Amino acid sequence: MTTSRQPNPPSRGTRAASPTRAPAAPPPARTARQLREATIVARRRARPEPDTNPLRQGLRLERVPDPCAFVLFGATGDLAHRKVVPALYQLWRTNLLPAEFSLIAVARRPYTDKTFAAEVKASVEKYSRVQPIDQGAWAEFAKRITYQQLDFGDDDGFNRLGGSLDELDKERGTSGNRLFYLAIQPSQVTEIVRQMGRVGLDHELRGSGWRRVVVEKPFGRDFDSARLLNHEVQKVFRESQVYRIDHYLGKETVRNLLVFRFGNGIFEPVWNRSFVDHVQITVAESIGVEGRGAFYEETGASRDILQNHLLQLMALVAMEPPTSFSADALRDQKLQVLRAITTPDFEHVRGNIIRGQYGGGWVQGEPVPGYRGEPEVDPESETETYVAGRFTIDDWRWSGVPFYLRAGKRLPKRATEIAIQFKEVPLRLFRDSTGDPAPNVLAMRIQPDEGIMLRFAAKVPGLGLDVRTVNMDFAYETSFVVDSPDAYETLILDALLGDASLFTRADEVEAAWAVVTPIINAWAEMPAPRFPDYAAGSWGPEEGDALMEREGRRWRRI
Amino acid sequence: MAKDLTSHRPVAHSLAEIESQLSKLWARAAAAQAVAAKAEADVAAAQAEAAARSAASLAASLAAAQDAGGEAGNHVVARTSVLNLVVLAVDEGTAERCAATIASAASRHASRSLILSAADPDGEPGLEASVEALSLTTAAGRIETGAETIYIRACGETGRHLASIIVPLLVHDLPVALWWPNDPPFDSHRAERLLPLADRLIVDGSAWSGNGLDTMAKLATVAEGLNLVAIDWALLRQSRWREAAASVYDLPDLRPYLGAVRRIDVAYATDDPGDPAGDTNVVRPLYHVAWLASRLGMTVHVPLRRRPDGRRVATLRQKNHEVDVVLQPAGSKLPAGSTIRVVITSRIRGTDLVGEVTAGDRDVEVTVRDSGRDRIKRTYLAPRLNDVDLLSLSIQENAADSVSVQALAMAHRLLGAEPGSRKGVDGGWSRRTRVGSQEDD
Repeated sequence: MTTSRQPNPPSRGTRAASPTRAPAAPPPARTARQLREATIVARRRARPEPDTNPLRQGLRLERVPDPCAFVLFGATGDLAHRKVVPALYQLWRTNLLPAEFSLIAVARRPYTDKTFAAEVKASVEKYSRVQPIDQGAWAEFAKRITYQQLDFGDDDGFNRLGGSLDELDKERGTSGNRLFYLAIQPSQVTEIVRQMGRVGLDHELRGSGWRRVVVEKPFGRDFDSARLLNHEVQKVFRESQVYRIDHYLGKETVRNLLVFRFGNGIFEPVWNRSFVDHVQITVAESIGVEGRGAFYEETGASRDILQNHLLQLMALVAMEPPTSFSADALRDQKLQVLRAITTPDFEHVRGNIIRGQYGGGWVQGEPVPGYRGEPEVDPESETETYVAGRFTIDDWRWSGVPFYLRAGKRLPKRATEIAIQFKEVPLRLFRDSTGDPAPNVLAMRIQPDEGIMLRFAAKVPGLGLDVRTVNMDFAYETSFVVDSPDAYETLILDALLGDASLFTRADEVEAAWAVVTPIINAWAEMPAPRFPDYAAGSWGPEEGDALMEREGRRWRRI
Repeated sequence: MAKDLTSHRPVAHSLAEIESQLSKLWARAAAAQAVAAKAEADVAAAQAEAAARSAASLAASLAAAQDAGGEAGNHVVARTSVLNLVVLAVDEGTAERCAATIASAASRHASRSLILSAADPDGEPGLEASVEALSLTTAAGRIETGAETIYIRACGETGRHLASIIVPLLVHDLPVALWWPNDPPFDSHRAERLLPLADRLIVDGSAWSGNGLDTMAKLATVAEGLNLVAIDWALLRQSRWREAAASVYDLPDLRPYLGAVRRIDVAYATDDPGDPAGDTNVVRPLYHVAWLASRLGMTVHVPLRRRPDGRRVATLRQKNHEVDVVLQPAGSKLPAGSTIRVVITSRIRGTDLVGEVTAGDRDVEVTVRDSGRDRIKRTYLAPRLNDVDLLSLSIQENAADSVSVQALAMAHRLLGAEPGSRKGVDGGWSRRTRVGSQEDD
């Protein structure tokens, strides 16, 4: 859409229109520069409107994707059974998948179409967010499932897969549109992508349909490996075909954060260093490693949460308004934030980035073992299960405003929250009251009890002038009783529709690793940490609290 | 969620009795909540009833209902934070049907609803009212007041002053949606007095009597004159059709054909083949044309007229060429007035592109032929939206939905209105229409 432009202001020396009535004067002779500018403006006006479909405007229903084949690698794995297939079933049940949809489940284990469908049905019955499942809808969905056994190193297997997909195009009208979902171990990504490239599954020839690949996190384990992974994937797929999924970005409240910031005019004027004292972002989990000890040993909290969820949330809070809601406009702004985060050097890490590991304790009334006592975990493990840090963003909006991020396992409760703490009032008028008004806080709860809370001061009823802090609370469930879609439903539908707004771009991934890798490297050079240093069921190590207390702040009780 | 609204309701004859009844009902509601929660029912209902003789006592009854809930040990939070929904029902049957729909939609959109019906116009003036509060248990197990419904039967002279009853009962600072089922009498004084109270008007054009075109023209006049957002379920029901039609032109090489449309054919179902009397409701077929024309920048060259063979035809202009429009009645198992097929024919340099959207039982089929060759064939699942879905969509409706506004305005022009005309029943509509001092009808 082109924007209308105001006429050029009169240049210096040209008389502006007089406020008093005057006889119309002949237009002044224009300079060469003015003529050139007028030509440019005329050219812009003559430029045709962007090639959009006018029939799409204002359609209320969710758009239904093109007919397509959904190729699910790792179809027998935990992620496929818990998240991906239940999400697909839910999309099908709500008529958000095309009638010509096909799911091609790919994995190493031997199954037939029927035995796989039966097994995956049991998972959907267990994990579907809407219970009980609609048997009629499932029966229709199950007709569209085929299973293909495939060893990822097997060239012939990939040749057969390509042939099967071509057959599906003819039999089921999937029109050559293919989405490859890699629900697999990170170490297998490169091999599968290479095989797809060899067989030509990435090729988007004119009229042959679109090809997209969805890659699950982690996207590498440090800056170099992320860059290498991006390079390997981009050898085969163009960046516009790659959808890196971070399910946090599909959560309703995260998406609402964008609406909250850019759909409400009242917050933007105070969303900067002049009014904000600091920002806290917490991703707390009450669970431990839940049988994924081996995986967690390789990642830890910094790779598992800080590099993606926490930095993405920070970018969404801090980014400038995008010029449009297009995928790249949004991601360009996030990237600017990630690149503006001060790179932590060794000294900064020593003083401002805290790591911790839980020992045994009690969580929600149950005794739980320490991290080193979990299955598949090294009894001497130095993997951090808690990370907290003070970060700053070097730009005009946020310079000098600390962003405190923390994430941990076996904390007292599961809670994700972003809190903007505003500065104190400049003058304390109510000195005789029993307490000073606490600074205003705007908190956005992402899970559970999704909502937004504004804290402000109010006078206690009575003859005196007592001031107390009160909360103005908006809870999603009390205004919208409808269930929010699961993040995977949102993201899979977006990928099928070709909307990459909520997926992470390669340069974002690398920019985030550029923040986290120096932390990991600095820790490697430091003496071994004295782990465990916090009890399961507590809010993390004392150093985490001290990080804020030394600046006269404290973590919010959430 | 829908309740049996015909069950016996306790009657009270004084404010004290009303409050007593409400307290008891809220206490029972608390017990019901606990039982329902154990039974894995996430919604329990409490019904508070009161017979009231004045609007003021109704407001008091509502307050008493909430207070009573609090006293019963349950923190009841008023959740009527979405909008005021005013239903103007012609009779009690319609009122009950609307109430059931509202109750089912309450879990999605908690609102305060006023369901008004006039009874015994020659009887003694007065009103009979009952108050119902639907409370829901949230996922977190908290009891919240979900929605409030006030049933009002206005008798005698009172029935001619509905606006004066409605205004004091509206939750302040919330938008007001006026749901007028069946045939809204747009040219009545009642409409003149009630419509200015509303921010949006919910109607169902496919339920209007006759061919519906006169009412449609009046709706357009009212909407334009009052700057009212008109939400017509006849148009809402076409969402999946529109999605299907739009999908044809998502392909970049087919998009230029949108600027070269030569003909729009809409076939619709009739009870009597050929529709000799011309009284089949054609609101839905006309909306298809109006939507396409408004989106594709067309103007009306010759308005819609009926041919002796039962077809209705019009001529549109797009850029410098004409577009023929034909609404064709046809025998079908579908209910009369339903759209059977929409065909869009475009031509570029002698090449015809024909996009056809056809109704199935539970789906919509799209075919595209390029110079006679099949180019696209696909099916959209499109189950019919029920009244609860439609009400929910109406409540969700963005007040600034320019697509609906433009479609209705285009339909109006297809019916012969001049662009920008604001002729109303009495020569014009105004938000300044007086309230309370005159009779509604």
